[in-house]
Amino acid sequence: MSRSAWGLVIVRLLAAVGVAVAAGLVFGQPELWVIGVLAGYLAWNLYHVYRLDRWLRLREGTRPRKAIGVWGQIYAEFHRIRQLNRDRKKRLNRLLKEFRKSTSALPDASVVLNAKNEITWRNDVAQRFLGIAKKDRGQKIDLLLRDPDFIEYLRRKQFDRPLSLRSPVDSRIKLTIRIIPYGTGQQLLLAKDVTREARLEKIRKDFAGNASHELRSPLTVISGYLDNLEADPEKPDSWKEPIREMVVQSARMRSLIEDLLTLSRLEASSSATNDEPVDVRGLACLVRKDALAAGPREGAVELKLESEAAIRGAETELYSAFWNLVQNAVKYSAPEGVIEIRWWDDDDGGYFSVKDTGAGIPESALPRLTERFYRVHKGRDRARGGTGLGLAIVKHVLQRHDASLEVTSELGKGSLFTCHFPRSRLVE
Amino acid sequence: MTTGTEELTHHYSRQFNEELEAIRARLLEMGGLVERQLKRSLRALVKGDSELGEKVAHDDYQVNHLEVSIDEECSRVIALRQPTASDLRFVMAVIKSITDLERIGDEAEKIGFLSSRLAAQERPENRYKEIKHLGRQVREMLHNALDALARLDAEAALTIAQEDSNVDDEYEAIMRQSITVMMEDPRSIRRVLDTLWVARALERIGDHAVNICEYVVYMVHGKDIRHVSVEQVVAEAGVDV
Repeated sequence: MSRSAWGLVIVRLLAAVGVAVAAGLVFGQPELWVIGVLAGYLAWNLYHVYRLDRWLRLREGTRPRKAIGVWGQIYAEFHRIRQLNRDRKKRLNRLLKEFRKSTSALPDASVVLNAKNEITWRNDVAQRFLGIAKKDRGQKIDLLLRDPDFIEYLRRKQFDRPLSLRSPVDSRIKLTIRIIPYGTGQQLLLAKDVTREARLEKIRKDFAGNASHELRSPLTVISGYLDNLEADPEKPDSWKEPIREMVVQSARMRSLIEDLLTLSRLEASSSATNDEPVDVRGLACLVRKDALAAGPREGAVELKLESEAAIRGAETELYSAFWNLVQNAVKYSAPEGVIEIRWWDDDDGGYFSVKDTGAGIPESALPRLTERFYRVHKGRDRARGGTGLGLAIVKHVLQRHDASLEVTSELGKGSLFTCHFPRSRLVE
Repeated sequence: MTTGTEELTHHYSRQFNEELEAIRARLLEMGGLVERQLKRSLRALVKGDSELGEKVAHDDYQVNHLEVSIDEECSRVIALRQPTASDLRFVMAVIKSITDLERIGDEAEKIGFLSSRLAAQERPENRYKEIKHLGRQVREMLHNALDALARLDAEAALTIAQEDSNVDDEYEAIMRQSITVMMEDPRSIRRVLDTLWVARALERIGDHAVNICEYVVYMVHGKDIRHVSVEQVVAEAGVDV
């Protein structure tokens, strides 16, 4: 409202009062004249307030725009604001419509929840995957998705990991559910169909397991005959060398298959199912004995057991991890090299380390060490009878025990493999 | 002074509403648990997984535990709030529903137990095809009944209640078939009897699901439709709904 308009109002009012006073002086009784003019002014103002009110509340009558003075300006201003709002609303509506159209087109089921886990919006796919209908707006989600795992997931409010769930509508559909909190207490629930991915993953895992398993039986037959042939005293001399070589190679193949089977077994489940305390000291002694029994060597295998702690986990898995580490140490160091097995703990957890004085590993090879079939020196390593799967097994076992593997090495001096178990896995 | 009282009653009724909502949430949580028990027990049977069967039988205590605690909450609400009209109907229906859910849990436990026993025996050639089919039907019925309960959807509840006759027919068919199998090969009697017990348990679960549907109608319309034929109810409800 401009200042001049108000000035005009005052001037007009004063002029009207002046005219009234003048008329009063001319015709007598000026008070009555003034009262009459002011009453007229009041009535005019009240009339406009009335019209404005009816127009605003009841949207009745035409837009009362034409009026003199301040009222005209007020009407114009109202009109402008209303037009502005109408435009904004239109724009927002269009945006909202587009947003909903795009989320409806998403292949994933999406549901918007408020802070009380009530459904405020969902797309059509949600009906197909989760059975949430349009009329379920305002319904609490956990009344419809009743799977105890989902309720637990919703209650814990730790949404950094997705949840796998079977669709309540069709149990053949596998879903991964993600909840993304946003705004003030709002949550977006997304359910993705992963039936295909889950099947492919299963096929892949099954293949490795099945293939190894199928290879094992023919190999057993072959090595059986080879053993017979080798023991046969009447075989020609020219066959001796080839048969010996075949025996060695079939033994290698067998250990390869055993390792593959171990790996696929480890992959089948993500965490160690056994949670019994495993006596690391006993395990270390056992591994040392096995290392000494594997072949004659001059170098000592030293044991340094500085901790009494046990690890919660699966004994057979830990044995195979530790044995693989020690086996590597034996394989890659000279016969007279000293191997040291150490078990100690501090505030951060427990450490099982194997140190050798062997050839060492070049720095460039360290990051790839736990890859399957990775070899530092292609020809040489194979000649030593390794399968190339040992450290992959170690890595998997440690992952299942929440542990990590650290490797430090110096060329020509030796390597140090350390398994770090977190405090939560230790039992005093 | 008046505003003070008003606020007080408003506050109380809001808290009361929240209590009822909490009971509803726990009731359906129990439903979800029972659904999972049934699903697992059937999987144990079909896959011959005795370990899973034992787990189902063992986990039944969770269902019982929930039943007791919901029952207590309902009694507390009745004692403290003296609910009337639809609130009272709701609480009564919850008390009845948890009994049926608990029974369903017991039947699932029975199936789990029988599954672990059957796993030790030779599996039939058709791998429990009929039982699988019946199981799927019953599971769907239970799921839909609980959905109707969550949505307080009386119409859906009536539709589900009508499905029960299919389940009964299927049960009859399995029974006739089992008798034939037993006559042909008496050595299979033990196994077939156990299988028949599973079918019987499934048929009972169907009946309990129907009961839950009846409570939904009672809750929504305040009409007791127990021991009344479904057709009659639909005819009446058609006018009423």
